[in-house]
Amino acid sequence: MSFRKRLAAGEFVVLAEMNTPKGVNISKMVLDSRRIKGRVDAVIIPDMDNGVMKMSAMAGGVLMHQQGVEAIMHVYCRDRNSMALQGDLLASHVLGIQNLIVVHSEDMTVGDHREAQPVNELDELGLIAAIRTLQDGKDLAGFELDGRPDFTTGCTIASYKDGELELAEKKVAAGAEFMVTPPVFDLDVFAAFMEKAKRLNVPVIPTVFLIKSVAIARYIATSEPEANLSETLIKRIRKASDREMEGIKIAGETVAALRDMAHGVKIQTLGWEHRLGAILDAAGL
Amino acid sequence: MITAERKPLEEIIDSVKPFQRILLVGCNECVTVCAAGGRKEVGILASALQMNFMKAGQTIDIKELTLERQCDPEYVEELSTHMDQVDAVLSMACGCGVQEIARRYKDKPVLPAVNTKFMGASERQGVWAERCQGCGDCLLGLTGGICPIARCSKRLLNGPCGGSTNGKCEISPEVDCVWQLIWDRLKALGMEDRYEDIMPAKNWQTGRGGGPRKIIREDLAE
Repeated sequence: MSFRKRLAAGEFVVLAEMNTPKGVNISKMVLDSRRIKGRVDAVIIPDMDNGVMKMSAMAGGVLMHQQGVEAIMHVYCRDRNSMALQGDLLASHVLGIQNLIVVHSEDMTVGDHREAQPVNELDELGLIAAIRTLQDGKDLAGFELDGRPDFTTGCTIASYKDGELELAEKKVAAGAEFMVTPPVFDLDVFAAFMEKAKRLNVPVIPTVFLIKSVAIARYIATSEPEANLSETLIKRIRKASDREMEGIKIAGETVAALRDMAHGVKIQTLGWEHRLGAILDAAGL
Repeated sequence: MITAERKPLEEIIDSVKPFQRILLVGCNECVTVCAAGGRKEVGILASALQMNFMKAGQTIDIKELTLERQCDPEYVEELSTHMDQVDAVLSMACGCGVQEIARRYKDKPVLPAVNTKFMGASERQGVWAERCQGCGDCLLGLTGGICPIARCSKRLLNGPCGGSTNGKCEISPEVDCVWQLIWDRLKALGMEDRYEDIMPAKNWQTGRGGGPRKIIREDLAE
């Protein structure tokens, strides 16, 4: 069943994230996708996440399509004006990409091309609306399209921020059909958020982040206190005889627990996509 | 100077409608020079607003004032004695002035009466044209004192595009091709060899690409 159909049927969706290479060596990406084929409903392809120049997500999405894995492609506003965004969206549809997530883009000043000129002509809401406009058979200048693209479009929601539900409501009104949250480390805090998020009336998909080391856990706990990564969790990894495996277990347990709380899950492994299978095993999926 | 144009009267009327007492504030600097928001324009706008409201059978209380500089806290302070007698401020300064008033008087709505346009120069009486985009890394020394960032439609750094015809830009026969101007000027200066230099991709970080900018002069900052 496709991602769209599972979402519509209220089935729990399992998504994995895979980054495109910085270069043209696609062997890891292809291998990783083959490993999890049939075990996830779709793979999310970020596009130049954190402002780091990489192979475009569109090619990543097409690669997934070629492997028989459904793709969900990130789209954002920093690097493309409204012409380029629309052209790429039409191209993506033609090349088989059916799902999009409109995401926030990190500022150029924090990426690896700090001298580049950012665009930011549209914002996230404007882009969601633009996708809807294309689907309605028109471009942003009001001209008729010869053939309409069709996408299932999601967006992100910063579950820990004030005013974010109000912003999310606007995104839903503009055309967003599902939401992806930042990593969940505290299930009670997330449950409280889900209670509030009911009013959005769209599926909410939390992110489960693979903690690869104590240092990463410590970094998140210190630099992003809003992520609610507790000392107890850090201690659990520190005391484990196999810390790597403990991180995988924690991710698996979180995925399993979220099955009763959310509409799906996005597993984020940032370079450790070869361990996705182990996380799914730990989650009993 | 920073150039501006007054907003259409209908738009200004709409923005002040919810308020009874307005403080209409002009600025003696750039907007005076480009005849958009100086003392004279404050008077004209005040009369136009009064007339329009009277015609509609309504009244509006407008107090007129023109500051030396609206982008300077020292002068904006002068408004403090008037603030408790007004419901909103209508500013005829550029965006910098509007924001300085908003920053100082946090409980008063501030409305812009002009559209801030660009940093430019006067070409002749009543005509102003864009000259600088504040890219933060001036290259006028390389281009004969004529800016391709502000004056080329494509911001090209290495000569004209194929759309340059008879010294004019492809976007309009009214617009000079800035690379024609640069070439003519370099020739006149005997610096044609400068044209052969290849300019690398520009670092946009010093411009708006690097986010909102600030200058801190350690020797002057308190």
